[in-house]
Amino acid sequence: MTWELVAGLETHVELSTKTKIFCRCTTQFGGEPNTHCCPVCIGLPGTLPKLNRAVVEYAVKAGLATNCKISNISKMDRKNYVYPDLPKAYQISQYDKPICRHGFITLSSGKNINIERIHIEEDAGKLIHERGNTFIDYNRGGVPLIEIVSEPDLRSIDEAVEYIDKLRLIMKYTGVSDVKMQEGSLRCDVNISVRKKGSKSLGTRTEIKNMNSVNFIAKAMEYEFNRQIDIIESGGEIEQETRRYNSDLNITESMRGKEDATDYRYFREPDLVTLTISEDEINKYKSELPELPDVKLQRFINEFELPEADAQLLVKYKRVAEYFEEAAKDVKNKKLTANFILGPIFRRLDTESEKEECRISISPEYLNELVILVENKKINFNMARTALGQMLDTGKPVMEVISENEMAGIDEDDLRKICKNAVETNENAVKQYLSGKEKALAAIIGFIMKETKGKADAALATEMVKQLIANR
Amino acid sequence: MVTGKDIVKIAKLAKLRVKDEETERLARDMSEIICFADTINNAVEDSEEEFDGIAGIVNAFHEDITVESFNRDDILKNREGGENGMFVIKKHFSNR
Amino acid sequence: MSDIKYIQNLLGTKQLSCVELTRKYLNAIEKENKLLNAYVKITDQEALRTAEQVDDRISRGEKLMPLEGIPMSLKDNIVTKDIETTCCSRMLKGFVPIYDATVWDVLKKQNAVLLGKTNMDEFAMGSSCETSCFGGALNPHNTKHVAGGSSGGAASSVSGNIAVYGLGSDTGGSVRQPASFCGLVGMKPTYGAVSRYGLIAYASSLDQVGLIASDVEDAAIIYDSIALYDPKDATSRGAGTTSSDKLDKSIKGMRIGIAREYFDGIDGDIQKSIENAVKVYEDSGAEIVYFSLPQIKYVLPVYYIIACAEASSNLGRYDGIRYGYRTESYSDIDDMICRTRSEGFGEEVKKRIMLGTYVLSAGYYDAYYKKAQKLRGSIVKAFRDAFGLCDVMLAPTVPTTAFELNFTSRDPVETYLTDICTVSANIAGLPALSIPCGFDSKGLPVGMQLIGNSFEDYKVLNAAYQYEQQMKEKIYKKLERGVRI
Repeated sequence: MTWELVAGLETHVELSTKTKIFCRCTTQFGGEPNTHCCPVCIGLPGTLPKLNRAVVEYAVKAGLATNCKISNISKMDRKNYVYPDLPKAYQISQYDKPICRHGFITLSSGKNINIERIHIEEDAGKLIHERGNTFIDYNRGGVPLIEIVSEPDLRSIDEAVEYIDKLRLIMKYTGVSDVKMQEGSLRCDVNISVRKKGSKSLGTRTEIKNMNSVNFIAKAMEYEFNRQIDIIESGGEIEQETRRYNSDLNITESMRGKEDATDYRYFREPDLVTLTISEDEINKYKSELPELPDVKLQRFINEFELPEADAQLLVKYKRVAEYFEEAAKDVKNKKLTANFILGPIFRRLDTESEKEECRISISPEYLNELVILVENKKINFNMARTALGQMLDTGKPVMEVISENEMAGIDEDDLRKICKNAVETNENAVKQYLSGKEKALAAIIGFIMKETKGKADAALATEMVKQLIANR
Repeated sequence: MVTGKDIVKIAKLAKLRVKDEETERLARDMSEIICFADTINNAVEDSEEEFDGIAGIVNAFHEDITVESFNRDDILKNREGGENGMFVIKKHFSNR
Repeated sequence: MSDIKYIQNLLGTKQLSCVELTRKYLNAIEKENKLLNAYVKITDQEALRTAEQVDDRISRGEKLMPLEGIPMSLKDNIVTKDIETTCCSRMLKGFVPIYDATVWDVLKKQNAVLLGKTNMDEFAMGSSCETSCFGGALNPHNTKHVAGGSSGGAASSVSGNIAVYGLGSDTGGSVRQPASFCGLVGMKPTYGAVSRYGLIAYASSLDQVGLIASDVEDAAIIYDSIALYDPKDATSRGAGTTSSDKLDKSIKGMRIGIAREYFDGIDGDIQKSIENAVKVYEDSGAEIVYFSLPQIKYVLPVYYIIACAEASSNLGRYDGIRYGYRTESYSDIDDMICRTRSEGFGEEVKKRIMLGTYVLSAGYYDAYYKKAQKLRGSIVKAFRDAFGLCDVMLAPTVPTTAFELNFTSRDPVETYLTDICTVSANIAGLPALSIPCGFDSKGLPVGMQLIGNSFEDYKVLNAAYQYEQQMKEKIYKKLERGVRI
């Protein structure tokens, strides 16, 4: 009996607008508790919300980047529930007329994970439980969120991980969020159920709430998948409930029982007005979107003829991709440029965040100069590698590094002279080569490399030597 | 109509404590009012569209430019016992 | 001459200083308020400080702003920075706001002299002011009767001559009914004409700040000052035009609409007073148009469903965590919240919260809230069509005159039924004004209502003014209490 995993993800993404969704307090992360607050975001009696224009723009862009249909008319609703981190005892969200619907994200397998909807809502404050007491900081209260709800199309943990990574990448590219999971700007709830492979109906699902690490999501899904199978196989029934992932014990635990299923009593928010978005506006936002990761990937593969793995790695870090394109400008050998980045340069970028921020100590123009030198055979590949190392260490441009270290390559004419000299000096090796010993050629090349202190282009030298010998 | 059980359920949602002896009386009062509210069932509405909002305004926005937040002292002003700049609810509290 | 203009003249010609004027009012309040219970907080320091500033400006020859130096009152659900604001509920006793309501900020900038915060039904839920945690406000015309609700204190303060005008709030008639009971002009602007920012919410789509004054000209002056667009309120538009410059316009040819349904079950005295008013309009050259508005049959249940639903949500925030009352003993957070709310709220408020929660809850939402909203749309349309037939509508304000004290009814619905004439203006978001039109056999004031089309508040004030000019002494009675200038 093979079991199939069925899962959907609800992803909360914090938008990187400057101000909160309903007031003009800053959304800056961190800050002393309750110093980014005002009467509106702590819900003082008499206060009223007003929607941040940028939130609409960002939400539409997120929708466009995920192939959603944008609603021309939408509205805000109140989701009523009582919890200390929610000052008004309702969250202003969107219930039945979300701003975006029916989009999808394509995985590398070509499979589409459908997105049911994207809606706008406000974040709650932060609760800290300590020694049984509860402390509340409302700085985060009112920070704008979009909630991206996928259909239950995921069939494996790998798919889920890829979906999240893809979603993060797309959001980063659009600029609507910095999606820093460790800072909480992207959090996921997973809805997961199991069924026998081949079955068309869905099993009872449980929800694992509020995870902000891809690693935890994967582990939680694995645990829950097995937990559900165990229950069913021993004759039990899955209880529809909300669970949380306990990272210390690597288990999921029940949060609320079914009797607590809260009735949110959604109704239209009377303090806010209808949202209309015209086709013109949607087109304007569309034109403002940068090239999205999938498109860039294809272009790198097809136009630049990069191998898929290399292209993916470049695209994964938006700024690195941009750096790469700058560095590969007017360069014929794009792959060489990519190799320099993915090899020596990446080796110096230890952490993910360094790669994200593209903390390369030389400008793309400098790398461009180096690559062009190699292309024009002014410097051989090995020398170039060494030069690059020097450039990265000192931040200096290639010409300076080369002259300082006497790395200049050998002129073609000069090289011919040196090869001629080498052939004349190494009569024995030539004789051996002519009698069939290929390896003898290596000795001649070795001689040339020693003579030129490694600056010669070995491949070119080999060609020249062969020709010289043949022309004797 | 509205039963005592309904009252208990509603009170829980509304975060109100209803004493046992009150539930029946409340149920009766609420039933009368709901009966009164039921008269709308006889009405035929003009349209299927839910009412769009009395204001007749669309797209009221604030610009994405920050304004200085309120002083924390003011934010915490109405609740003494704000610890470390945060609101606090003690685990439990007994004044006896 | 309007009271406001009269007083400003005295101030401007230095016949009276603002400080002297303010002291007169403060002394009168000390004398009258123990009985009337119009004020729940007296802000004498604030008042005198402002009065000094006004006198300062006068001595420098500065021109007075429209409401400058005029002693007034604010209903205690209008947020005043650094001045306790309670909504006359135990839940907010001791609550000191950190910001000003927009309407108050506007008046503050005009150096309005705030005498104090006035009494009201708890969280504006009631029609007699008796659900106030401070006890009800009395009707200065006859203190065995209520001043009305929920803005009872505001009406009592103006009628008792211990304020020149008062701001209140009107969700289902809460400014018009007390004005009617106390022989005053009470107006609810078009929804969106006056900012709600800082008005502690009862029912967001129905609430408006309203005004209570001694005559129509005063009402227009106040209206023009407060009916401004407020960027902090997304539902705010402002009036779009001034009203006090349009009071004099002739009403010859104005069509006054009378919907039959408003007159079902109205007291005989009231019926008579209104019939007299109709005659006055006819004699002035207005055209009376009679028609039927059957949707009025549904306004009350629609109102209570929507109002209670929104209220149940608006009042969810009172949990004792950030401000207000907090219970003394509890076992955990949930217990703390439930006890706080049950102890902090009065019975009527709790009832309406429960009702609102019920009509929004799963299983009942469609039958009640959703249906009520759809009906609301029909009612709005019906009124819009009616204003194709007339310019303003005339109706009673309340089916009766002021209730006797302790107006409790074992039938919870009976009190709600008295709102029948007033709620339609809130449901449809229309401007409505109550003006006295006579007295009953006991000498209690009778009020009638003028209702206008959306953002035609100036027409309502115009029609009221023209009627008033004809009737003056017959409809107003200046009482022998408080400040007589």
